[in-house]
Amino acid sequence: MSIESSVDIITEWDIVAARQLGRNEAKEVGFGTVDQARITTAISELARNIYLYAGKGKITIERIADGAMKGIVIIAADQGPGIPDLRKVMEDGYTTSGGLGAGMPGVKRLMDDFKVDTEVGVGTTITATKWLR
Amino acid sequence: MRTRIPILKLRDTLIVSIQWELDDQMALSFQEDLLNKLHSTAARGVVIDLTSIDFIDSFIAKVLGDVISMSGLMGAKVVITGIQPAVAITLIELGIRLEDVSTALDLENGLEKLERELED
Amino acid sequence: MNVTLASYIRENLNPILESWKQFMEEEEEGKFFQIMSDDMIDSTAHELGELMIFSLTENNQEFARKVEEFSVKMARHGWSISFVMKALTNFTEAIYHHMGQTGFLNDNNSGNYIRLINNWLTPLNHSIVEAYSKTWERTVQLQKMALQELSASLIPVFDKISVMPLVGTIDTERAKLIMENLLQGVVKHRSEVVLLDITGVPVVDTMVAHHIIQAADAVRLVGAKCMLVGIRPEIAQTIVALGINLNDFTTTSTLQRGMEQALAITNRQIVEVEEQ
Ligand SMILES: Nc1ncnc2c1ncn2[C@@H]1O[C@H](COP(=O)(O)OP(=O)(O)OP(=O)(O)O)[C@@H](O)[C@H]1O
Ligand SMILES: [Mg+2]
Repeated sequence: MSIESSVDIITEWDIVAARQLGRNEAKEVGFGTVDQARITTAISELARNIYLYAGKGKITIERIADGAMKGIVIIAADQGPGIPDLRKVMEDGYTTSGGLGAGMPGVKRLMDDFKVDTEVGVGTTITATKWLR
Repeated sequence: MRTRIPILKLRDTLIVSIQWELDDQMALSFQEDLLNKLHSTAARGVVIDLTSIDFIDSFIAKVLGDVISMSGLMGAKVVITGIQPAVAITLIELGIRLEDVSTALDLENGLEKLERELED
Repeated sequence: MNVTLASYIRENLNPILESWKQFMEEEEEGKFFQIMSDDMIDSTAHELGELMIFSLTENNQEFARKVEEFSVKMARHGWSISFVMKALTNFTEAIYHHMGQTGFLNDNNSGNYIRLINNWLTPLNHSIVEAYSKTWERTVQLQKMALQELSASLIPVFDKISVMPLVGTIDTERAKLIMENLLQGVVKHRSEVVLLDITGVPVVDTMVAHHIIQAADAVRLVGAKCMLVGIRPEIAQTIVALGINLNDFTTTSTLQRGMEQALAITNRQIVEVEEQ
């Protein structure tokens, strides 16, 4: 059982649309204000990375249930350049764009599960899950 | 049409209360507007109130940090007020400490703090 | 269940329970029973016996209820799972032991009876252990919740000054809860200084220190100041030995000291008034 909705990330405005979608979903699942902020922030980071580094892609938000557990999965998928050095990207402060380099390691800390599938020249798919406690 | 964030002037202090969710463009034009206003008014302090903001990501955090450093270069002190608990927690988990940023609980405390800091 | 077997066990329950108790007492020099009074041993043995008889006579539903009751009681007494398993194994032993002694079991019928007894006891043991572990999990969960509530309340002491006493071990989950309560409390009570009292925290390792530093950083972001108080000598030693840097922090050994400093920060002090 899952409910799914998504936003195509093409312009900067779509980043705002994606995180608003995420916040609403998080609210409906029953997350508290702090977790809502965590989820919204994670979506903002992943959507902006798509916009900045892949040009375009898609954010999908899925509500999931596993037995008594409920949660939200964020899937950020693009067909961009891929990430050549994943290990470096997961270090705090690593950036190729003059940002803070906080996005990727930050999202990992904000969410409960975090998985990156990436291939140079093919694209990147990031899956991040938050469970309701 | 794009909304701009209003910047008020109270004696030699600028007061900015951010009331809406910031998109990237709005954040950048805010940075520009504030620096211009600092230049034209020669204000010595700025209070930025974030009470209505319910999340800050790394981009907005960078813009804020930059605004503070740039204001410093132009001789103005900045105090950030009203950061919500949820926002503080996500910032810390993102790894963004905003180390040298001066903060206060609300606008009122922020103005007091600024006054004290400008006296020293 | 074989009728002869059932009536044998029913009739001989008391001596079987007696040898069960003996087995339990021999277990690691009676370690198991040392913590229990004689009355309690007797009543527990009695209940176990009843439960066993019950499984011979009653329907499944009734029996399931009884098992649940019994397991809740065991969990309340603080019996460990290994103790419960030992008790069940010894009960089986006691039955065989008694049957051998009375000659109920002989070379001709033993194979058959052992199979019958196993068919009776194995599912019985399973259901007891299962019910017990469920109860145990629930108990642990409740204790955890109680601890979480206990440990994370912010107490407004004076105008602008609050204290949060931390008690017990801090793990990642609790650290998150503490942080949330701390920040929400600071904003709600409009505290300008908050004292984190770690007198009741047994160990401060790098993980705990990291959580404390993060909490203090977050407190600064919402616009207040966080002080760390209640640093015992051994905690000071481990903090330095581990190379944890708390230099950005105001720290004091006692809550009292911390309170004086907090008052100073908020431009106040406590003065004695002369008697009228
Ligand atoms: N979807 C993606 N496709 C290709 N490269 C990516 C993608 N996402 C991230 N990267 C690479 O990973 C680096 C680190 O990303 P991260 O989000 O951690 O920091 P940043 O975007 O540079 O700065 P910040 O997010 O703090 O503003 C980026 O600089 C970029 O090189
Ligand atoms: Mg990024």
